[in-house]
Amino acid sequence: MSAGPVVHPGPPGAVPTARDVRRYTTRAGNARGGASFGELLGDVYYAVVLTAIAVGMALGVAGALRTGLPPVTAAPVAGLSLPALVVAVVVALGGALVQLAGRLGPVGVGGAEAAWWLPLPVDRRGLLRPAARRPPVLAALVGGVVVGVLDAGLASASRDRLLRTVPAAALAAAALVLAAALAQTAGASRRLIARTGEVVVAAVPVAALVAALAGARVAAVPTPPWAAVGALGALVVVLALVVDGRLDRVPGRALRESGSLTTQAVGALVSLDSRELGRVLTEGAARPRRRRWVPFATVRGPASALVTADLVVLRRSPRHLVQLAVSACVPFLVTLVPGLAGPAAVLLALFGAGLVATSATAEGARRAEMVPVLDRLLPLPATTVRRLRMVVPAVAMLPWTLVAFAAVGRWTGEPVGWLALAVAATPVWAAAAVRGAYRPSPDWGAPLVSTPAGAVPTGVAAVVARGPDVVVLGLLPVAVTLLVGEVHTLALTAQATAAVVAVAVASSTDTRTLLERLSDAAEPAGGGSGPAGSPGAAPGGPALTGRVR
Amino acid sequence: MAAPVVSAQDLLVGYGGAPVCAPVTFALHPGRAVALVGANGSGKSTVLRAVVGLLTPAGGTLRVLGAPVDERSVETRRQVSAVLDDDAWFPALTVAEHLFLTARGHGVRGAQDLVAELLAEFGLTEHAAALPVALSSGQRRRLLLAAGLVRPRSLLVLDEPEQRLDVRMRTRLAERLVAEKRAGGAVLLATHDPVLLRAVADRAVLVADDETRVLPPAAAADLIARADV
Repeated sequence: MSAGPVVHPGPPGAVPTARDVRRYTTRAGNARGGASFGELLGDVYYAVVLTAIAVGMALGVAGALRTGLPPVTAAPVAGLSLPALVVAVVVALGGALVQLAGRLGPVGVGGAEAAWWLPLPVDRRGLLRPAARRPPVLAALVGGVVVGVLDAGLASASRDRLLRTVPAAALAAAALVLAAALAQTAGASRRLIARTGEVVVAAVPVAALVAALAGARVAAVPTPPWAAVGALGALVVVLALVVDGRLDRVPGRALRESGSLTTQAVGALVSLDSRELGRVLTEGAARPRRRRWVPFATVRGPASALVTADLVVLRRSPRHLVQLAVSACVPFLVTLVPGLAGPAAVLLALFGAGLVATSATAEGARRAEMVPVLDRLLPLPATTVRRLRMVVPAVAMLPWTLVAFAAVGRWTGEPVGWLALAVAATPVWAAAAVRGAYRPSPDWGAPLVSTPAGAVPTGVAAVVARGPDVVVLGLLPVAVTLLVGEVHTLALTAQATAAVVAVAVASSTDTRTLLERLSDAAEPAGGGSGPAGSPGAAPGGPALTGRVR
Repeated sequence: MAAPVVSAQDLLVGYGGAPVCAPVTFALHPGRAVALVGANGSGKSTVLRAVVGLLTPAGGTLRVLGAPVDERSVETRRQVSAVLDDDAWFPALTVAEHLFLTARGHGVRGAQDLVAELLAEFGLTEHAAALPVALSSGQRRRLLLAAGLVRPRSLLVLDEPEQRLDVRMRTRLAERLVAEKRAGGAVLLATHDPVLLRAVADRAVLVADDETRVLPPAAAADLIARADV
């Protein structure tokens, strides 16, 4: 049946081109956008300044790495060589890029475009072309800068070498995203593409570990020949052309979902909401499916119900279990790199990998923060709820800490002491996980502070730091032990004490910063502002027995 | 009788492989209207999403305009006009510009006049220059309905079009849909409104978990009036 529409509200005419549709939408929007030429110049100025600052910071990091690390020796050394680590990191970053591309689409359209553009009988490729171009271009920019910094910093690459590695990295990053887009046009699900990237990211530390233990060694990061750079360029052009020719094959539903996720992710990024960002990236590619009913046979009361629920959430997320296992390899890996293994790098690896691991364990708490009624359902005081929500993170982090600290103990030659330290330190991770999960959103109505990246409200840094702050302060005894090089009984006692304090801090429902608390305490009685409290839970009181006004 | 515009045979729809309702069977011919009725969450909207190609059927057969549904095909986009629950707008485009974009995008000549007519019909003339974000939810609903009617079509798919409309506007909508049928257009709608059902539908399909049944509109309207669905 192709006789055309039978109901015509007006005389039929020619259908415009996709470019006409895009131009009309842009022109109409610009007509009342309200941005003057001066404001436009201001935006361009800020963009240039921001780029310059970012490049300067990247060069600074590269320089610091270059001078801070010992020179790469040609003589074979036991363990993992620094060039091998650089290769591993670059491959992992490639996997992460595919993962991100898969989770976000990569090609998508926003809600308005989906509702008003996609139903038009115009060439869909023309409508989607700008949206399809952005991800590979962005990936190329980021890939070039990151690999440039890594290569210049960790591998001490020469300028001639950088002239080849940076464009090669940029082109490879673009090619990966274009390959993901090609898979999307072929009907591959976002979940499948993301899973491919996840497998690469998870396999890299394990492969590096196996290679190091097997004695395999990479003497130098291979320099891509000009022919390879040219071939990559040709590959990108071919992929771009093929993807462009197949853009009209992406189903409207996939375009809508991808666009919606990208919008949410950008919003979370702009508002510095890492929790929301994680939620978008995690749940966006999840397969909608019905779960098997869990009988909750172990539940004997509200406390066990809460812990069981958290456990079920963790068990239903195999990705988080893989995240735990893979992140445990990172400290081990760093101790195996002779050119890198120093107290500072090991501590950084321990804290960084630990934060990644803790974020995998607090899904239950994060969901409860998003839907406060979950915590209100049970007749438990809010502080008790927080403490109970630390149980699953603690149980999950105990083996992680034992493995990671054992690696450090093996490196320092004191494994038993470090295992004892691991047991004492585990509650700190759990406390950080819960404190981070329940952190409030930034108050965008607060007074603004001018920064090189634009004006941001006061208190944003304090909000973002909630969670990591407990790790840094709560694991001070671990840091000191690493610097001293010996596990003292005093350090064990201090760590156990710090763990108790960390749990107490994370149990608190007061969302004010220390300065705000001091300021409020200094005010006369009756004039102070009350604690903000956690959403959905009365501080210290039973969650179900609050006053009803 | 002309070939059906929509033909569903044991159509199974759902998410993640799990069907949301019993298999649905119906045929919609040009100049006719079929109404899907059923309780909230029974799967009416999911069936509509499958018909417009936003959801792949989990089973059965579904043909729209004589072929398996594919919303990517230009022909489908030319002939199928859908008003679902999309509440997304270009933030800087006015009410009139949204309608103009739709009309011109479908190649309608004299789109300005047509847009003015529809704005008047849906009581939006005063808001022609307003941004959709400034409208009430009822006004936004009317704008969506106007957008569904401002373009050429053979099949009009409406998901609970009566929502957020006052009685006068519902009556006007019913008249519009009857006119649509007279012009040869096919109408597929999900509705909870017995008045709209009686006025427009030639047949009703009761969508439910256990079974789906084809009913005369009057019987379906009675079911709704008795709050059985």
